[in-house]
Amino acid sequence: MHMQPTSSMKEEFLQKWQMGLQIYRPLIDNTSVSERRKAIKLSADVAMASLRRGTTCWSRALIQKTATEDNFLVRQMLSGIKAETLINKKLPKVMCHRKIVRRSKKILRRRKSRSAIEEVAAKARKLVKKKTQGLRNVVPGGEFMSNDVLLIQETLDYIVSLQTQVNVMRSIVDAAEAGSERTAYYLGKLKFAIEDG
Amino acid sequence: MSNRRSRQSSSATRISDDQIIDLVSKLRQFLPEIRERRRSDKVSASKVLQETCNYIRKLHREVDNISDRLSLLLDSVDEDSQEAAVIRNLLM
Repeated sequence: MHMQPTSSMKEEFLQKWQMGLQIYRPLIDNTSVSERRKAIKLSADVAMASLRRGTTCWSRALIQKTATEDNFLVRQMLSGIKAETLINKKLPKVMCHRKIVRRSKKILRRRKSRSAIEEVAAKARKLVKKKTQGLRNVVPGGEFMSNDVLLIQETLDYIVSLQTQVNVMRSIVDAAEAGSERTAYYLGKLKFAIEDG
Repeated sequence: MSNRRSRQSSSATRISDDQIIDLVSKLRQFLPEIRERRRSDKVSASKVLQETCNYIRKLHREVDNISDRLSLLLDSVDEDSQEAAVIRNLLM
């Protein structure tokens, strides 16, 4: 099964992103470049997260995170009750009871005498654990996913969503840059012609 | 589920081979380096996880980069110019 951003996902993302930017429209001319940049990025993130309609952990976490940066925008982009639920919904606390895990690992260690193979396996597991932690750092809400199965599912979904976001944003910026160059080119030509006579 | 103790939580912290195979097949399209790997032992799992991390970070950087470019475009454009019309029609 190949996961890919579908055209309906892209369309919906674009629509929601544009809606988010519309909210900033009256402010656009009076803000700094960095504020605009923030507006662009935050509305893109909410648009991406809202595609999942609260069904994934990463999207809920991303919405909550964005809400701390711009509560108004998130509320505007997610209409009504839904916004309240998503913003205020408590994310589950870290479910991995460290003391219990540590204790059980200790018990397991005492029971087995380690062969060379077991040593290698243990090292590999440690490495996997480390890399899994790395994944938790880059996926929104990763810190709440103590279950590795969940983590992988969420990661895959997050990647497809990110690709959708990047895909659409890239098309827009490429078109805008090409458009402005072309326009600038013709404007330049026009200016030259006017100045000439 | 949170009441079941040691066995549950210690097995939940490990990724199974099946999950790795599944993840690898899905990541294959994005990560050509992974395509050559066939084994799904723990060492490969580590590599897959690392590459996945790297890929996600790369996507993040791309979004940041595009956001920068767009914010500059909006900045350099006069309110009444044709460029403004083009960009604003696209974005807003």
